[in-house]
Amino acid sequence: MSQPNRRHVLQYGAAAASSLALPGVSWAQGGPLKIGLITPLSGPQEFIGTYVKNGAEVAVDQINKAGGILGRQVALEIRDDKANPAAALAAARELLGAGVNLHIGGISSAVVLALVPVMQQENGVHITCGAGTEKMNHEAYSANMFRAGDSPDARGRAQAKLMAEKYPNITRWTGLIPDHEYGRTTWGIFVDGLLEFYPQIAKKKPEILDPILMPYGVSDYRNAITAALRQQADGCYNSTYGGDAITMFQQARGFGLMQRYKVVCDSANEFLVARGLKQQLPPQWTGMHYYPAGNKNPMSERFVADYLAKTKDNEPLGWAGESHAAVYALKSAIEKGRSAETKAVIANLKGLTWDTVTGPRHMRAEDNQAVKDVELVYIEPAQTEKGYAVTQYVKVDGKASILPPLPGQKLKLRTA
Amino acid sequence: MQAADIATLLVNSLTWAMATFLVAAGLTLVFGTLHILNFSHGGFFMIGAYAAFSLAQWVGTSNSIALYLFGSLAAGVLVAGLGLVVDRLVLRRLAGVEDAYILIATYALLLVCEGSTKLVWGLKYHSVMPPAMLDGAWVMGSAVVPRLSLFIIACGLTVFIALEVFLNRTKSGRLVKAIAADPWMAGLLGINVRRVYTATVALGFALAGLAGGLLVSNQALSPSLASAFVIYAFGVIIVGGMGSISGAFFGSILLGLIDAIGQWVLPGLPGLPFFIAMTLILLLRPQGLMGRKH
Amino acid sequence: MDNRSSFLGGPARRDWIVLAVVMALGLLVPSVLNRGLIFIAGLVWINAVFGLSFNLLFGLSGVLSFGQAMFFAAGAYAAAVLTQSLGWPFLPAWIMAAVAGGLLAALVGAVALRRSEGVYFAILTLAFAELMHLLITNTGMLGRNDGLSGLARPVLSLGAARLDLGQGDNFYYFIVVACGAMIALIRFVIGTAFGRALQAVKQDPERAEFLGIPVRLHRLVIFTLAGMMTAAAGALVAPWAQIVTPELAHWSNSTNPILYTLLGGSAYFWGPALGAVLLSAVFYVTRTLVGVSDLVTGLLLLAVVLALPGGVLGLLARWTGGTRGKGKA
Repeated sequence: MSQPNRRHVLQYGAAAASSLALPGVSWAQGGPLKIGLITPLSGPQEFIGTYVKNGAEVAVDQINKAGGILGRQVALEIRDDKANPAAALAAARELLGAGVNLHIGGISSAVVLALVPVMQQENGVHITCGAGTEKMNHEAYSANMFRAGDSPDARGRAQAKLMAEKYPNITRWTGLIPDHEYGRTTWGIFVDGLLEFYPQIAKKKPEILDPILMPYGVSDYRNAITAALRQQADGCYNSTYGGDAITMFQQARGFGLMQRYKVVCDSANEFLVARGLKQQLPPQWTGMHYYPAGNKNPMSERFVADYLAKTKDNEPLGWAGESHAAVYALKSAIEKGRSAETKAVIANLKGLTWDTVTGPRHMRAEDNQAVKDVELVYIEPAQTEKGYAVTQYVKVDGKASILPPLPGQKLKLRTA
Repeated sequence: MQAADIATLLVNSLTWAMATFLVAAGLTLVFGTLHILNFSHGGFFMIGAYAAFSLAQWVGTSNSIALYLFGSLAAGVLVAGLGLVVDRLVLRRLAGVEDAYILIATYALLLVCEGSTKLVWGLKYHSVMPPAMLDGAWVMGSAVVPRLSLFIIACGLTVFIALEVFLNRTKSGRLVKAIAADPWMAGLLGINVRRVYTATVALGFALAGLAGGLLVSNQALSPSLASAFVIYAFGVIIVGGMGSISGAFFGSILLGLIDAIGQWVLPGLPGLPFFIAMTLILLLRPQGLMGRKH
Repeated sequence: MDNRSSFLGGPARRDWIVLAVVMALGLLVPSVLNRGLIFIAGLVWINAVFGLSFNLLFGLSGVLSFGQAMFFAAGAYAAAVLTQSLGWPFLPAWIMAAVAGGLLAALVGAVALRRSEGVYFAILTLAFAELMHLLITNTGMLGRNDGLSGLARPVLSLGAARLDLGQGDNFYYFIVVACGAMIALIRFVIGTAFGRALQAVKQDPERAEFLGIPVRLHRLVIFTLAGMMTAAAGALVAPWAQIVTPELAHWSNSTNPILYTLLGGSAYFWGPALGAVLLSAVFYVTRTLVGVSDLVTGLLLLAVVLALPGGVLGLLARWTGGTRGKGKA
């Protein structure tokens, strides 16, 4: 990791601070408070980036209507990172150089990892909105990067905990995981949860089979599906995502694979796969960053209404909730410290408890990871226009599922 | 390895091979005749699939195989029409131009396909359920053979036989082959070479659209569908010999088998056996299995 | 290849002057442009060298390679691994990365050039590159698809002097100097007897062989040199972006130098460099036009290829009244 050169940091810190300096003096004269939004708005992750953008815009509109932050109106500076580190770095540097020091929006893991040294060197803050890498709070930890949403280890372990509670007799588990970092890590986390919660809650030891590695970026999974069939597992954890997951489920359908499992738990597809497959969807549990219908608090209801008015979409997927929460986190931190300067915002984000669409969240000071309850839903195919329906909704306590902070160190997981 | 496992491996390999052949057939036909490597072929395959999807939506849920096949043919016709437009506006201007320019022009066309698909159909993922008769599987002991796999294999075989019959046993087909072999001589003999080129392009694009329709239930529909098939289609036609339909057919079967065996033996390294095999075959026989040395 | 255009290297003196001017302008960039643009400018320099090395093969020697990305990635990853995991100082790591690229190119070239040429050779390079991409994506030590991140900007120790390239825009200045040197080297090679022999090989390989020029050996040597320069350019990406990912080896990165070269004009020495600048400009200007980028880029490229086969420089040459030698029809 590069050590920030102190003189260098101060030089740029001074430059950034001068445009958002002492409250009360040049605060109101600075024009709108700009927040940078760097997220994929083209390329394969464009679909997710659109939710991030809309969620952030709704948040900004709501805040401005209520008087802004410390009396100052807020404006978003939106940049497309194309899910590509070089484009993200150019955008981040451009915004930082122009005095915009507070950024949100990271979705692609590679982008988030690329931003770590830059935000540190150029004195900025970045709050991610759904990137899956666990490294940003572990071996790649930096005080300038925050995750205001689900931690990958809380999500996976909460899912394992739910499985132990609801299906104590299903102990023979396998995984369908994409053959890359994200796939391997999510499986490792789920296994860690199985190994802790099955003995604890179901009083049984889980049998963990070798997961099936799904080739990445191809369009034929039949050989992997055949290998999965041979395993004869009872429980299945799927972390393939997006179009790959849909293709896999379509091809697995011919083999009747998913029907052979007693329970299927999906890592993070929200409603993406359900919307794509409709009646073809195999019934499954899935994790959501934010499930609107399950969150009956005023902030959530107002968010859903405003989102509908803005985008004609009545079901904002979880990433919209994450960007909304990120904007509100910045608002709380700025108001708490009465300053939008990087150093103050970092100090005030750490340890912050703030209100979001999923209820109150707490930002751990040690590793910049938020603690929030994990939302899980059970979706089944339905004979409706929509094609699917949510038949169960569970909120799993985040505090019990999340692993202790380990900033600067690799994630430590139990293995079978 | 039990007999059931071998059977399943064979069926899976053939399914992949035939799906790839369906996509590659039009590509190799156009290259063989016009010597144009059409990078955008995958893009038109994608448009064919989306067209079949829209048709399926418009008609509503149906369980008729006939309707599924009709949709595929309609997609083929639509894309053939697009092919005629592309031929007029782009391909004619690339005659005699060096290969790098053609590559870039057709790559640009691919980008246009992807951009247009996003504009017309949006970014969401879609899927089409196969008709009931093609759903499910035949279970023979411990071997599971999905009906859709057999359908895809049947489609691939049919298209191969039809193309071989057309090229070798019909007058128009032999004309195409003659022009592919020696356009100058064909011109001297009074054949309207331009017209045959246009017809071949239309056929090549029709095959792309048809493949899109036939394979619409095989995978998710998204604007990145084109890129998924491009590299594999390329690999198969290179190995088979560029310009040779039977080369593409047998090449895809060979590579499909190698890839399946590779996945069985080395499950931790998916995709690698394909490229290693492709590289080795090209080193031993650069013109491909059935290609002619230029 | 049926390209009969001669490679217009131009008089050497003119090109040295152009290089000096371009470098001077490059060094002025940090005082006028914003930080995002400085970052992009650094990438443009690196891409210009990428394009120029490609054109050593294509424009000069008539060898088309669809797989140059593998050397670019080899250089980037070699630099990353040597500096981050093995703790090498930057300059030796950079040189080693270039050597690694050269060795890889020699290996690939020895095997591929022996058996094929023209389009078949091009496809073979594509296959090799995709193989490399897969190998990188599957190697845990190279970070798999997350790549290697957190790469440091180097501190150069030259004897008693210590130069911290992590401070301010220092590494950008280093890029300008390093790339300028590489461009000079490329221009020098073109002007040698070896360079002229390669032009003869491109024009008519059979006749060249007959005249006593060992065609295959020449092609192998230039392929190795191009691989080395490409890797040297790629190695600069590691400390500049401070992350290396497998996308650097993807086939779409192999199409980049081809794009620059065709856009700028493959028959001219500065063509690829100009193409790199123009394409980056287009992407920068359209960066806030979300969503239509595919369509716009595609249509633009199509227009260029169909209407400007000699690239921008070819167009300029036609406007300034005729060309020396044959441009593209």
